[in-house]
Amino acid sequence: MEKTINRRDFIKTTTATTAGVATLATGITLTTFVNANENPVTNEKRWGMLIDTNRLTETDIDGMVGACQKEHGWGSDKLSTGDQKASWIKKLKVKDTATGRISNLALMCQHCEEPPCVDVCPTNASMKREDGIVLVDKHLCIGCRYCMMACPYEARSFVHEELTDQKEHMPRGKGTVESCTMCVHKVDKGEQPACVASVNSDAVIFGDLYDSSSKINQTLKKVQSTQIRADLNLNTAVRYSGI
Amino acid sequence: MNRWIILFFSLIMTGAFAHGQKTHSLGDEAHSIKDSGKTYHESISVIRKMHPEFLNHKRDKTLREGVRTEEYSLKGCVTCHATKKDNSNDYHPVNSEGQFCSTCHKKVATSVDCFSCHRTTPAQGAK
Amino acid sequence: MSIIRYEQTQGKSLGFYALVAGLGAFILAALGSVYFMEHNGHHVTGMSNRIVWGMPHVFALFLIVAASGALNIASIASVFNKKVYKPLSRLSGLVALALLAGGLMVLVLDLGRPDRLIVAMTEYNFNSIFAWNIILYNGFFVIVGVYLWMMFERRMNKYSRSVGIAAFTWRLILTTGTGSIFGFLVARQAYDAVIMAPMFVIMSFAFGLAFFILVLMASYKWTARPLGDATVNRLSNLLGVFVAAVLYFVAVYHLGNLYLAENSGVENFILLDGGIYTKLFWYGQIILGSLVPLALLYSPATKGNRSMLGLASVLIILGGLIQLYVIIIGGQAYPMELFPGKEILEGYGTIASYTPTLPELMLGLGGVAVAIIAITYLVKFLPFLPESLADDVVDPHHKK
Repeated sequence: MEKTINRRDFIKTTTATTAGVATLATGITLTTFVNANENPVTNEKRWGMLIDTNRLTETDIDGMVGACQKEHGWGSDKLSTGDQKASWIKKLKVKDTATGRISNLALMCQHCEEPPCVDVCPTNASMKREDGIVLVDKHLCIGCRYCMMACPYEARSFVHEELTDQKEHMPRGKGTVESCTMCVHKVDKGEQPACVASVNSDAVIFGDLYDSSSKINQTLKKVQSTQIRADLNLNTAVRYSGI
Repeated sequence: MNRWIILFFSLIMTGAFAHGQKTHSLGDEAHSIKDSGKTYHESISVIRKMHPEFLNHKRDKTLREGVRTEEYSLKGCVTCHATKKDNSNDYHPVNSEGQFCSTCHKKVATSVDCFSCHRTTPAQGAK
Repeated sequence: MSIIRYEQTQGKSLGFYALVAGLGAFILAALGSVYFMEHNGHHVTGMSNRIVWGMPHVFALFLIVAASGALNIASIASVFNKKVYKPLSRLSGLVALALLAGGLMVLVLDLGRPDRLIVAMTEYNFNSIFAWNIILYNGFFVIVGVYLWMMFERRMNKYSRSVGIAAFTWRLILTTGTGSIFGFLVARQAYDAVIMAPMFVIMSFAFGLAFFILVLMASYKWTARPLGDATVNRLSNLLGVFVAAVLYFVAVYHLGNLYLAENSGVENFILLDGGIYTKLFWYGQIILGSLVPLALLYSPATKGNRSMLGLASVLIILGGLIQLYVIIIGGQAYPMELFPGKEILEGYGTIASYTPTLPELMLGLGGVAVAIIAITYLVKFLPFLPESLADDVVDPHHKK
C-alpha cells in the first residue's frame, strides 16, 4: 500500500459531505479587478521565511522581537503576569546535547500548510489564507483556546486583559486569541514583515516560496534547511538553516 | 391586526426620532465634507440601514482574502466620523458617550462589537 | 415484578429549602466569579498562554464525562434488558441531563467571549472535533429528552427500548468525542494517544455511576422512601468493576507511553518527579480515588454498608476530578518537545506553573451546584423517583 492515511485525512474524508454544504455559502465571490489589492489572494503564491541561525545574532533576534512589538502593539500588558503576557515571537537558545553547539533563533507562528490550529478551531476563526498565511479571525473567535492546545510551537497568545489604543491595522481585544500575522497588512502592500526588515543582514529572508526567481526559493534550493517538528508533516512556511 | 398597526407606527416613530437627532457628533472630517456640499455615501438611508452588512462583508473580504480597498473599511468610518476633543489634538473614541457610533446605537439599544478589538480613534499622524 | 409507581417528591420540608438555598449560594458565587473574570479578563485567573485550560475545564470535562456515564443505568435496563435497573431509568436520564447542563455551563462561561455563544452555534468547522462535540452535546439533550418522554408516557413505552439503544450509542460516541479532544492533539506528548477515547468512556462509567449512587441514596433517605439492598448492592458491585476498569486503562496508557522514548519525559514528569502532579497522581488519583474506594466496596468489613458506599462514591468523584486535573493541567505544564536531541537553554522549555484562583474554583463548583439543583427541582415537579425501591418491589423473587 503506497497510500497511508492519517487521522486528519480520515476526518476530512468522513466529513466531506457535511463540510461541502458549509463551503457552498462562502463560494460566492467572483469579482474581477485590476489592482492587486482589489483581488483576492490566490494559492499561486506561498509566503515564507528562511532564518539562518548561523548568521542571526542575538542582537538581531532582540531587534526582531522589538520590531514586532512596535508594529503590532503587543508587549505592554499592564495587568497580565508571567506566561499571561502576549508573546508573538520568542528568542530561543538551543544547545545540542551531544556536541554542545549553541544556536539562537526566533520562534513565531510557523504558518503551516496543514495548520493544527485551523483543524481544531470549532468556529473557523483560525484560518489560512490562500497564500499560506495563518490568521485568527477575531470576529469569529470565541476564546476557547483549543488552537493554543493544538499548536506545536505555542505560538499563540490569549489576550488576558482589556486593551485600548490598538494599532489601526492590528485589532486586538480581550478574550480572543492572536499570533504572528506575518505582517499580512504590509505583505499585501508589497512590503516585508517588520521582523524581517529589522535585520540588516540576509540572516532572515522573506518571499514567495513558489516563485523560482525569488531569493528565498533559490536559497532554499542551495542550502540545507529544516522545519521545526518536521515529524508532524505540517510543512511549515518558516524554515531554519544551521540548526 | 391591532398589533400590526401598533408595530408599524412604533417603527415609523423610531425612524422619525432617529432622523430628528442632531448631528453634533457627525465627526470632524464628515462635517467638513458635508459643509463643502459634497456627499461621501451615495445614500444616507442606505448606509444607515445597511452599514452592518457592508462592514461584515468587507471584513471577510479583507481578512480572509486580502482585499484592501477603502470602500466600507472600518478604518475609513473612524477616520471621518471621529471628533477632536476641545483644545486638544486627541480624538474622542467614536464609541464613547455622545459620539458618532454610540448616539444611534444607544438609542436602538444595539451593542457595537467592533471596538472590543478595533482602534476607536484615527491613527496617530492622521489628520 | 410488581408495578412500579413513580411519584414526585414533596419538596416542602425545611431540608429541601436549605438544600436549595445552599446550592443557590454556590450558583450565585459562580455567577459572581464569571462576572469578575469576564469583566477583568483572564489575567485574574491562574490560566496563562502555557496553561490555557485550567480549573474550569477540569470541572466541565468531569461533569460532561460523568453525564454520559450517568445514563448507563437506563441503558443497562433498556438495552441489556436488566429488569432490576428499570425503576432507576428515569432518574438516570435526569441525572445525565443535569450533569451535562452543569458541565456545559462551566465550559461556556469560561470562554474568552461567552457573549459570542451564538457564533459557536452557527459557525461550524467540521474538521474540528470540538465542533462535533457541540453537535453531540446538543443531540444528547434531544435524544435523552425523547428517551425520558418514551419512559414517562405509557403509550410510548414500547419505543423506549429503541430510543434507549439510540441514546446508548450516542453517549458512547459523545464520550469518545470528549476523549478525542485530547487524543487528537498530536503535538503534545501527554495527549497524543488513541487510548484517550476509550479511557474517557470507562472513566465516564465510574464517575457517572458514583454521582448517580449519591443522588439515589440521598433522595431516598431525605424523602424517607424505602431503598432495598438488592438495588444498592448491585450498583455497588458495578461501581467496583468500573473503578477497576479505569485503573486498568490508566495502567495501559502510562505503560504504552513509557515504551515510546519520545514520551518518556512527560511520563517521568507525571509518575516520578512532577512535584504536585506526581503527588496528585499517586496519592489523589490512584490511592484516594481508586484503591481506597475499591477496598471500601469489596472488603468484608465495609461491604454492604451504605455510609461506606457513599464515602467510596465521594472519593471516586474526588479522584476523578484529580485525574482530570493531572491529565489537563499536568499535560500542559510539561513543555512540548520542539528540538529532539537538543536542550532549550532559554525562551521555552520550563515547566509551566499554575495556581488556580478562587473564581475558577467557584465557577467549577457552580456547575456541580447547577446539576444538583436541577435534579432537586425536577424530581419535585415530575415523577422521576419510584415511591419504593424496597427489595420485594424491585425483585419479587427476593428472599427475605
